[in-house]
This record gives sequence, structure tokens and C-alpha cells, in this order.
Amino acid sequence: MEDASAPGLPVWHYDGRTARKRTPRLIASADGFTLVDELGEDGPIAWASLIAREASGADAVYGLKDRPGWRLGITGAIPPDILAHLPRAERYGRMVDRFGLGRSTTVFLVLAAITVFVVLSAPRWIAPYVPSSWERRLGDAIVGDFGGRLCNGAGGQAALDKLTRRINPKGLPLQVRVANVDMVNAVALPGGKIIIFQELLQEAESADEVAGVLGHEIGHVQHRDVVQALLRQAGLSVLLGGVSGDAGGAFNALLAATYSREAESNADAAAVAGLAAAGISPMGTAGFFQRLAKMEQKLGRASMALSYVASHPLSHAREKVFAGSAVKGRAYTPALTRDEWDALVNICHNDKDVKRGPFFGFD
Amino acid sequence: MGDDIDEGTAFEFSGSWKEFLPIALTNLLLTIVTLGLYRFWATTRERRYFWSRTRFIDDRLEWTGTGLELLIGFVVVLALVFVPLFVMQFVVQGLILRGHAAAAFALGGLIYGALFYLFGIAKFRVLRYRLSRTYWHGIRGGSDDQGFAYGWSYMWKTVIGFLALGLLIPWSMTKLWNERWNAMSFGDHRFESNAFWGSIFLRFIICYAAPWVLMIGLGIAMIPIAMAMGNASGAGVMILIFGVFGAIYIALPLFALAFYAAFLREAVGAVKLSEIGFAFTARTKHWLLLFLGNLGIWLIAAIIAIVPLAAFGVFSGFADLQPGRDPFAGNRAAFFGMIAAIALPIALVGPFIRYRTWRFGVNYLEATGEVDLDRLTQSSTRQPGQGEGLLDAFDVGAL
Repeated sequence: MEDASAPGLPVWHYDGRTARKRTPRLIASADGFTLVDELGEDGPIAWASLIAREASGADAVYGLKDRPGWRLGITGAIPPDILAHLPRAERYGRMVDRFGLGRSTTVFLVLAAITVFVVLSAPRWIAPYVPSSWERRLGDAIVGDFGGRLCNGAGGQAALDKLTRRINPKGLPLQVRVANVDMVNAVALPGGKIIIFQELLQEAESADEVAGVLGHEIGHVQHRDVVQALLRQAGLSVLLGGVSGDAGGAFNALLAATYSREAESNADAAAVAGLAAAGISPMGTAGFFQRLAKMEQKLGRASMALSYVASHPLSHAREKVFAGSAVKGRAYTPALTRDEWDALVNICHNDKDVKRGPFFGFD
Repeated sequence: MGDDIDEGTAFEFSGSWKEFLPIALTNLLLTIVTLGLYRFWATTRERRYFWSRTRFIDDRLEWTGTGLELLIGFVVVLALVFVPLFVMQFVVQGLILRGHAAAAFALGGLIYGALFYLFGIAKFRVLRYRLSRTYWHGIRGGSDDQGFAYGWSYMWKTVIGFLALGLLIPWSMTKLWNERWNAMSFGDHRFESNAFWGSIFLRFIICYAAPWVLMIGLGIAMIPIAMAMGNASGAGVMILIFGVFGAIYIALPLFALAFYAAFLREAVGAVKLSEIGFAFTARTKHWLLLFLGNLGIWLIAAIIAIVPLAAFGVFSGFADLQPGRDPFAGNRAAFFGMIAAIALPIALVGPFIRYRTWRFGVNYLEATGEVDLDRLTQSSTRQPGQGEGLLDAFDVGAL
């Protein structure tokens, strides 16, 4: 069947119509070739219409764009005059192959760095333009009635509102509530909502201490940190959706956490300014942080009751910011009167209807 | 011209992990620097390798799918399925917060049902896509069915399978397998599958009952032990608890595996393509070896990850950590170095497990009968334009 003296290069071939393997000869010309065997001729076919396919063992394999299944296989060494016309096999993908693995990696790395930077910093540019009404509605949707845990003990809310008014010099629209949750923490939520967990009131020794913590959360509201955090979270989850899986989730949490530290110190600065404007001593807050840090050392980080430490990293530097802002000789006034403070501390205790027991849905 | 197939050698995998390692490594590199976008091309490169190292009778398989079509499939699914779902989730939450619990429940049920239906379609379409991109002797497979009817069938058969205390699971699995394969073709030949649930039902009953028997048996066996040790014996209770948990965590997957091995033998053995019959000969012990090997890969990765991590911990003076202080505050690079030391070996586990699984599948796959190459002509099925986005999104394999 095969005649070694016949002209052309022996190749193997599938025509893409039947599974029969054929062994024609490839007759080359300047801009194309023809396949010839005992069944007939196929061609002329332009060199340019060939596409390289995955090699089959040592054989180079080519296909045609518009004839799926059409294959041309060449066994052994390919004569240079034919090789010059053949396309190179795809390896990493068309774009990477064109620029080379090293150069593509560098370019991708730069693009990735830019993308990450934009995603991380875009929330700061976008947050100021998010309408307050959207934010409020989002806050309502998230909080609802906090599972019936918002406390309404007699006089407590009035005291809290008074405290809020004092350290809210910019007159931001705020809604501060106490939730019956056994955690030493306070959170700022979208739409100027601030929730103080009742265990924090128990740990605090005076209204001055609560004023500093509240001032800090007001600082978050003032800087629109909450929307920023939400936007960042959304951006990161889209970005890391590509990486997929647990590693992505872990990265996400880490990046969000490291980022919030910057916002934390800004919020502290706002709290210090708020206290100074209201004439409330910052020493209470400094003492509160000092006590928390000591407790934390004793109990260890795992302690749930100290979640304030987990979300607001304590450090001596932070304590010093508050202590250092105290002005010697200034006549500070207590944040609340004795009676008001009592009403606030017992705001949950005095509320018969509030939901009690362990709370797992929020941290 | 008819080619007789030599039994036992019809399928052969000739890859080597040394050949595969550079592919896995460069895939990982490019996937990282493209923030994950390259993974569609990475999948394609992996498959091109697996397919090209797989011989059927006298020639290799060829994977002709592309990274771009997988990406398009992913984007389509994202836009058509997951964006609406994401929005619906807020609607459900809003309904709950406004006290319309019944409406929220109904809507939630509707969403769940839709996902269920889509999952069935996805299982069908991934098979269709993979067959349509698989060439052998220049001929490809495919299906003219879009899989919409299969989605319904998948839904109600699966529900019935579980409703009858799970006793109809073998029935639903074999029926669905037959439905899927009967809709597929290679070249101009239709696949025919007539897997019979009765053949695997005895195995199913044994695997179904065994964990219960084992647990009750253990419980009874523990009574004298517990009594001998006295009422207040902590050790007896501990042994009992370990026994029960051991039965649950080790025996349950083992029995599930024993059933699945039997199911695949029956299912693949029931598939025919024209004059070719197929068989899958892996028994439970082979599957067990596959999983133990995969576990070994995990262990190796964990060890490789721990060594630089431990060295890093020793040299970086983490001794006087202060509460609340960021240990990496002074050195961001160390942070990312540490993440990389952990993540890179773990990220290579996936490709090698896929490699082993493919090799496993090919090694135990057999074919008998006759192929008439002149009469095996090109498939006329419509080629799907995009990849397996749907199943990719649900993160499940083809079989």
C-alpha cells in the first residue's frame, strides 16, 4: 500500500468524517499542501489554516479551524521546509505563550497588585457617595429588632440618649441602643445605628468609661467606616471568588481585619475629640481599657466575654491616647448623674419583656 | 474493517507524575498571579494532559475544550443563577424581618427547588460537554438533548429515593444513570445503558443495615463492660462513646463506599456503544486504596507546609507577643511568606488527587467487543458553546 519512493511526506490522517485512520502523503507547495492516498486527494489546504493540537506521543498533530475532527499527524523528524510553515503548539494559553511565561507572570503580578489596591481602597472613595437613606434601610434590614433583645428598662434609654447628645458634637443622626447580650462589646452598624452589649455596661465602672467607648463607635459612624467595611467585604468576596474555597475565606477575614486597625485609631481620635468637647474626662476610658487588658491577660484571648478585645485590639498605645488627652486642672463634669447611670446600667435588668439567654447569631 | 478489542487492555493510562508536576506548578503560579482567573485554562491544560495520556485501543483520546469556553460558562451561570439568587436572599431576609414568615418560607422553598432542578441539569450537561470535547480517531461525542427534562426527572426521582427511608436510592441512581447515558452518543452511535437496580439492591441493603447493626451490637457489647467497671466508671462510658463515634465516622463512609463501588460496576457494565461493551472492575478495596493514597498526599502536603512554618516560628522571635499587638506589624512580607508556605503545598493537593482519580478510573475501565472504524462516523450533535459553568459552580465531577 505504501510506496516509499512516492513523492511527499508520509503522514497519518483522520478526515473527521469517519474514524478510519488514513496514511496519505503530504505534498507541499509554497502556500499550502495536498494530502494524497489511494482513496483520493484532499487539498490544496493553506498552511495558515492549520492549528497545532496536543502532541500524540512523539507525533506532532495539527487540526483545521473549520473542520472539527480533521487531524494531520507527523511521526518523527519534520523536514525544515515543512516545519517552517507549521504553527507552534499551544502550551499555557495563547496570550501567555505569546509573551512567555516569565514576562506574562510579571505583567499579571502587576495587574493583580493594582486590582487588589483598587478593591481595597475603592471603598474609601465610594463610601461618601452612598446615600444615607440606603445606609439606613440596610441598617434596618440587618438589625430589625435584634431578636427582641433591645432593652427598654425605665430611664435607661433617656440616660443613653443624653450621653449620646453630649458626645455627638456634629449632631449626626444616631440611634444608640443596648442589647441584652452577654458580651463586652459595642458595634456600629449601617445607618448610624450603635448597639452596646449589656455586659460592657456591667464591666464599666462609670458613665465616663462608656462615653469613651460610645465616642469611638460614633467615630466609626462619622467616618462612614461601616459602609466602607461592607463595600470592602463585597469587593473582596468577588475578587476571592476566583480563588475559591476556604483559603479565599481566610484571606478575606485577614485582610478585612488588618484593614480595620487604621479605622480604629481614627475612631479613637474622634472619641477623644468628642470627650474633650463635652468636658468629659478621658481617664475613665483609659482605665477601662487598662482593666480589660489585664483581664484579657488573665483569661486568654479565647474568652468570648472579651470580644471587644478581639474586634478592637487593645494596646498600651491606645490607652495612652486617652490618658494623654487629659488636661491637668480642667474641671471635667461626669458624663451622667448617679441616677442616670444606675438607670443605664440596669436598662436590661429592669426590662421584663426583653429576651434573655445565650445569643449565638452575632459576634 | 472490524477491530477486535483485546480484553483488559482497551484503556491504558501512560502519564507520569514527573510529567504532570510542571503542569500543576505553572498552573498554580498563573492562577495566583491572575487572582484565580487562570483556573479555567489550568483545568483545560490538566485535561489535555489526562486525555492525551489515555489510550483507547490503538489511539489516544484528545481533549479539545478551551479555557475561554469554561470562563464563559462560569460568567453565564454567575449572571443567570447566582446574581438572582443573591438578590432573592435579601428578599427572603426582608420578608422574615417584616413578619411574613410564610411568604419567606415559600420563597425559600422555591429557591431551593430551583437550585435542585439546576443541579440535575448541571449533572447532565457536564457529561454532554465533556463528551462533545472528547475526540478519538477524529470523532467526538455529544448529545442533542439540553437536559431540561432530565432536571425534572432528577428532582422527583431523588426525592422518591429518599422519601422511602432511602430504600429506593439504588432505583433512582440507576434510573438516572440510564437516562443520562441513553441521551448521549459518540460519533453516530447512541450510548445504551440498562443498569438494573435489582443487581445492587442486596449490597445496598447490607450497607444500609450494617451501621445500625454494628452500633446496636456495640451498644449491647458495652453493657457487660460498663457494668463490670461499675456505674461511675468514666472509662467504660468513654469506650462506649468512642465505639459509637468510630462506627459513625469510619464505618458509615466505608459502607457507603462499598455500595458506590458496586453501583459503578453495575452502571458502567450496563453501558454499550454499538458493538462495544464497557466494564468497570474497581472493587471496594481498590477504592479504599485510592482514598488512602489521597490521604497520604494530604499528609505529605501538611508536612511540607509545617516545616518552613516551624522554622519561621523559631527564627522570628514570637516569644514576647503582646495581646492585641499584630505580630506581623513590623514585617508584612513575613505574613505573606507564611501564608504562601501553608497555601502552596495544600494547593497542589487538588491536581494530584485529580491525577490519581483519573488514572484510577482509566485503569479499572475496560471495553470488549468490536469497533467498525469505517462505520463510526462523525457526530452530528450540536456542540454546546460554553463549558460546564453550572456544575463547576456546584463543584461536582462528571460521574
